[in-house]
Amino acid sequence: MTRIVFLLLGLTLAAPAAAQDEPSLSIRPFFLVTDQSFAAVDTFDAAFGKTYFPFFGGGGQVVFKGTYFVEITASRFQENGERSYFSGGKAFKLGIPLTATITPIEVTGGYRFRLPTLPRVRPYVAAGFGSYGYQETSSFADAGDNVDTRHAGFVVNGGAEFRLHRWIGVAVDVQYTHIPGILGTGGVSQQTGESDLGGVAARFKAIVGR
Amino acid sequence: MGRFRARAALAIAAIAGGLVLTLRGQVADLSRLQILQNVGLTAVDEGVIVDQSHLSGSPGSARRAAFHATLEQAGTSSGVARFRPGRVLVRFRDEASMAERRAAVRMASASGEIGTRPSYADFDVVQLNPSEDAEAAARVLSQRPEVQYAQVAHRVRATMVPNDPLYATMQWNLPMLNLEKAWDIQPAAGSTITVAVIDTGMAYQNATITATIPAFRDDQGTLYPALGTVTIPYSAAPQLVNAANAGRIIMPFDFVTNGVRPPLDFEGHGTHVSGTIGQLTNDGVGTAGVAFNVKLMPLKALASDWDVLFGAATDVGGFDDDIARALHYAADNGAKIINMSLGSSGPANCATNANQPECSPVIEAAMRYAVGKGCFVTVAGGNEFEDNIPPFGTNPTSILAEIASRVPGVVSVAAVNRGKDHAFYSSTGSYIELSAPGGDVRGFGLAGAIYQQTFDPNFTDTFLLPPAQYHAPRFDVMGFIPYQGTSMAAPHVAGVAAMLMQQGVTDPAVIEEVLEKTAVDLGGAGRDNTFGFGLVDARAALRGLGLAK
Repeated sequence: MTRIVFLLLGLTLAAPAAAQDEPSLSIRPFFLVTDQSFAAVDTFDAAFGKTYFPFFGGGGQVVFKGTYFVEITASRFQENGERSYFSGGKAFKLGIPLTATITPIEVTGGYRFRLPTLPRVRPYVAAGFGSYGYQETSSFADAGDNVDTRHAGFVVNGGAEFRLHRWIGVAVDVQYTHIPGILGTGGVSQQTGESDLGGVAARFKAIVGR
Repeated sequence: MGRFRARAALAIAAIAGGLVLTLRGQVADLSRLQILQNVGLTAVDEGVIVDQSHLSGSPGSARRAAFHATLEQAGTSSGVARFRPGRVLVRFRDEASMAERRAAVRMASASGEIGTRPSYADFDVVQLNPSEDAEAAARVLSQRPEVQYAQVAHRVRATMVPNDPLYATMQWNLPMLNLEKAWDIQPAAGSTITVAVIDTGMAYQNATITATIPAFRDDQGTLYPALGTVTIPYSAAPQLVNAANAGRIIMPFDFVTNGVRPPLDFEGHGTHVSGTIGQLTNDGVGTAGVAFNVKLMPLKALASDWDVLFGAATDVGGFDDDIARALHYAADNGAKIINMSLGSSGPANCATNANQPECSPVIEAAMRYAVGKGCFVTVAGGNEFEDNIPPFGTNPTSILAEIASRVPGVVSVAAVNRGKDHAFYSSTGSYIELSAPGGDVRGFGLAGAIYQQTFDPNFTDTFLLPPAQYHAPRFDVMGFIPYQGTSMAAPHVAGVAAMLMQQGVTDPAVIEEVLEKTAVDLGGAGRDNTFGFGLVDARAALRGLGLAK
């Protein structure tokens, strides 16, 4: 991670000055990769044996005067695991295949800071809300056993964008999401007492546009 | 429960005027019983047996109970044997020296001696003069600082209520547990798990028995002639064991004869119970079992009428020390599930005062030992809902089931009928934890019973025939026989637990937690004293949980 940051810094400093010219209004699509650590540690560990997972997606930003922005992001997580029980701090996996899919749609608004000494670097913070789809399917399910639901949550993030080229930038940030209403009322999450489908994610965005 | 039922039966027998003297004072004489193992023909399978004499409440059923009582009376010098005379089971505190232990025993009994500790026991047996009051000695010992607990060896009994066989809609009980979908999840049906069955034994091998059968008088005073030395055929239940799966029998042991004889079932109860757990299935024959591929460990701790007549036992039923040793044995020899379709009645407060008559701290300790070794234990909840048993009244506490409710990883099982309602005999109380089908012919007739393959009683219970027709039994004729009782309910749960353990839940306490949380709630909302947490749902238990549901 440290290497990537230094690499980005190097590329940013090497970028042409023209890359810093910012229009009063710009629309910028981006691709997104995240590595999320779920808050429901025991729940995800019981089903999948780990708690860090990637999301892949993309979205778009509308930036006003280079400072304020609104962003919409859609991404997707899917993982195969096992149905299980959790008791006494220990998971008992049952060998019955399970697939969980999360499809967040998030809308945030934020502010981009200027650093006089590093004009190609734009730290930013943002907050917003999301709609989080959750699907859970597993073998030997009867009608009504699988889960297909969508709940709202909120999100905050902060990071920095590095301009690599007049039309290309990258951003690295840390995002926190809180998603109540999906976990905690049934399944292993009820046994673990975990009710938040969110967590903390390290995100990487490749941005196209000025 | 059993010991008190024996009392009631004795009263009936006494009124009838026929107490037997022929066998009085008898001690076990194993020389009268020889068993040539694995020599014999396979069983004759008669299919469903129609035998009205086994209807609950029928004259035949009462006669059978009276006969049990007769043998009990004849088989012990102390008359009605609520417990094994001449012995007290004692767990001394570890820090007590041998001198202190002996001194404590002398304070309690003039004749008391600490015997050699039996195998598979974490307690000592203090031998007394049989005429001495063992309960009084146990009371004194239990109050000594050197002693953790002391108790007499209570009699325990099988909890089934024998029933009349009439084949109808046979196995409503298995779909009630949602087993078909559970078998979809786990077609192997417990193939890696060993289930120990502590019971009357099991018809697990062919054998040729040579027994010397003495004369006796029945409960009516009628003299039955000595049969002399007879050769008796004995066959494995083909729906439990056959040539293709003979390896499913693991470490069988007979605690009635302390391992001298194989644990062959001469009653039929243990074989029936074993069938519910693991009857062969999908073979186009007979009935199905719950976890039909499990390995079975026959542990005989309950003696039958024929065990007494063969000289292998002095009493019908079993005793606390044998049950406790069987629990240790099962745990030490690889069993992962232990079924106990047996029980006894007593006071409701053994949890707060175990050192009182009728409590069984030795079995509680053995259950905790077994759970500590990774065994899940099922215990029949008791059949005394309608029985008035002095001094405990109607619906007395079932002692072993009450212990089960206090030990995570051991469950007490009540019985429901085919309408998913309370079976008329099933004991109720705060100690009931789960429910399973136990059969109930009241209102349902024979279609409400639990059917499994076991001996045709027409060939085994020959002591119920008139003397002129009385002859040696044969244990090679099998049929699908209807039973009812919490004895039948408990093995359903044992089978589901075996499948759950194979599925990956290896902690006995967690198995109990899972079975309780996935049970279908019956009766009032939440846990109640009739059904506990509800009816076991095999499919829900095996399928487990997703993240959100």
